[in-house]
Amino acid sequence: MTARERFPLLNSFLEGWSIFKQSLLGRIGLALLILFALMAVCSYIPPWIDPMYNPMTGVDPDITCCTPPSLRHWLGTDFMGRDILSQLLAGARVAFMVGISAAVMSIVLGVAIGMTAGYMGRFIDTLLMRLADMIMVMPTLLVVLILAAIFGQLNIWTIVLIIALFRWPGVSRIIRGQTLSLKQRPFIEAAKVAGASHFRIIFQHIMPNVLPLAFLFMTFRVTAAIITEAALAFLGFGDPGTVSWGMMLQWVWKTGHMFKAPYWLLPPGMCISLITLSFYMLGRAMDEVLDPRLRKEDQTD
Amino acid sequence: MELRKYIGRRLVQVLIIFFVILTVLFLLFRLAPGDPVSRMVDPDMTPEDAQRLKVELGLDKPLGVQYLIYLKNFFTGHFGFSFHYGEPVVKIIWNRLPNTVLLFTTSIILSALVGVFLGKIASWHKGKKTDSILTIGALVTHTLFLPWLALILIWVFSYKFSWFPITGMVSEDVWLDPDSGFIAKSLDVMHHMVLPLFTLFLIHFGAYLLIMRSSMLETLKEDYILTARAKGLEEKVIRDRHAAPNAALPVVTSVGLSLAFSINGGALTETVFTWPGIGRELVFSVSQNDYPLAQASFLLIAAVVLVSNVVVDVLYAYLDPRIRY
Repeated sequence: MTARERFPLLNSFLEGWSIFKQSLLGRIGLALLILFALMAVCSYIPPWIDPMYNPMTGVDPDITCCTPPSLRHWLGTDFMGRDILSQLLAGARVAFMVGISAAVMSIVLGVAIGMTAGYMGRFIDTLLMRLADMIMVMPTLLVVLILAAIFGQLNIWTIVLIIALFRWPGVSRIIRGQTLSLKQRPFIEAAKVAGASHFRIIFQHIMPNVLPLAFLFMTFRVTAAIITEAALAFLGFGDPGTVSWGMMLQWVWKTGHMFKAPYWLLPPGMCISLITLSFYMLGRAMDEVLDPRLRKEDQTD
Repeated sequence: MELRKYIGRRLVQVLIIFFVILTVLFLLFRLAPGDPVSRMVDPDMTPEDAQRLKVELGLDKPLGVQYLIYLKNFFTGHFGFSFHYGEPVVKIIWNRLPNTVLLFTTSIILSALVGVFLGKIASWHKGKKTDSILTIGALVTHTLFLPWLALILIWVFSYKFSWFPITGMVSEDVWLDPDSGFIAKSLDVMHHMVLPLFTLFLIHFGAYLLIMRSSMLETLKEDYILTARAKGLEEKVIRDRHAAPNAALPVVTSVGLSLAFSINGGALTETVFTWPGIGRELVFSVSQNDYPLAQASFLLIAAVVLVSNVVVDVLYAYLDPRIRY
């Protein structure tokens, strides 16, 4: 027996990978993401070389205003003499942290609620889906804004939590649909006859079948979370203790340097746009892996 | 008749949802740490005025009574006074609403029309260079970070070339001049609107393009397209008269589904361009701790979102005779 035969999960992963590899968008997206991941890892290096490279508190003692790129500061410095490159690297770390944790939370919520609604049906289904409808139409950014108006300054984890709480309905609807069709299959019937509890059927028999779909949605949720946090930080309601790309743009904008310091304005926005694009491309390529219909369409010509 | 019943049912749903939002907002605000009085009543007011407002808003009564007063005030249009402007909140909101509606609806209609048109072209040239350029272009512009795009457009077109004003909606010299007529004023507003409109357009048309493209590809596989081909109709007629109208239907749905996303974008655009709309007012009031104004702006936006969703669904039913409620 080869390793591939012994581990069915590995096998299906490799199969998926071979399809994924053919997609140009998927390859570009993955390459960009690896680049951003490297940036996030490298963010620990500059502050370790010299404390003046600390993205938040490190100030170059010889510099009092923003300066263009130089050998000492590869991307220049901001208005306080802080190194832009180290801020950019730290921003990559924050983006991954915010994006992935919010996405995981909203997917877990969406999958659990979608499965429950689809499997239980009747009153619970109606109740949960009406709730989903209601939350789905709410603009997340403005919801976080009004919550900031009520509760004052929000820290980064509260922001992540709110984004997750408001971004599960899309996932739960898809998962509910999938669950509804799975419920009719003989193997669920068999599990019921064998005396399995609702809880066991949902998590043991239905969940493995809907997870690939949920995984696809995660890529889209990651971008939504990153954009929301960035927009919030840009408007000045971010966590003042973190250096995110949105925060950097807020500093450029609020200090009025956007016309004077292109080397400061361009990098953070480009990073937000590119990380969004790369997750988007990855999602589209994964769509093709999971949905054979799309694949066939592309192979006909 | 059936459609009318459906609209009625949906409007009742909207009312219920709105009521839930009102209640949640009330509870969150009263239960949040801190003194609600200090946040509803302007610290600069005279003690007598403050006391009167406090009674009017019911802030001296128990929670249950406060809730009833809150609902009554809401339905009679008493939202309190803005701290910053010192005017009734309702008046400010009514002033800002047309500006938002103007910018927002123009941008949605423009980007949907262009998106549908380009999506049609992309699907027609599927797999060729035109298709790749359009698809990649749509993906890239759709994922641009909106405030950054806005800043760059201002930098290039307003600062470097001075083609457009940097911010605002009107030039004072045109509007204060008694000689300038309606046309001059309209042209002035349009001149201010070009860049915000272009920003929203760039962000949105890509999504519509991609949806139109894939919907068009699905439609072209339908039997009636085959029939049309068999009849010997021209390819252009098949594309524009037979396939495109049906393929455009999912775009209508997606306008409704992406409304929340578009509204976020609208608020960001208004803020960067200081366009005097509701979205900017919400952002501004939150940063000024002007809670009465923030609350009213948020509720108005929520109401608009809910009602627009119904409008989009009804429009869909109207456009697609196969859908009957």
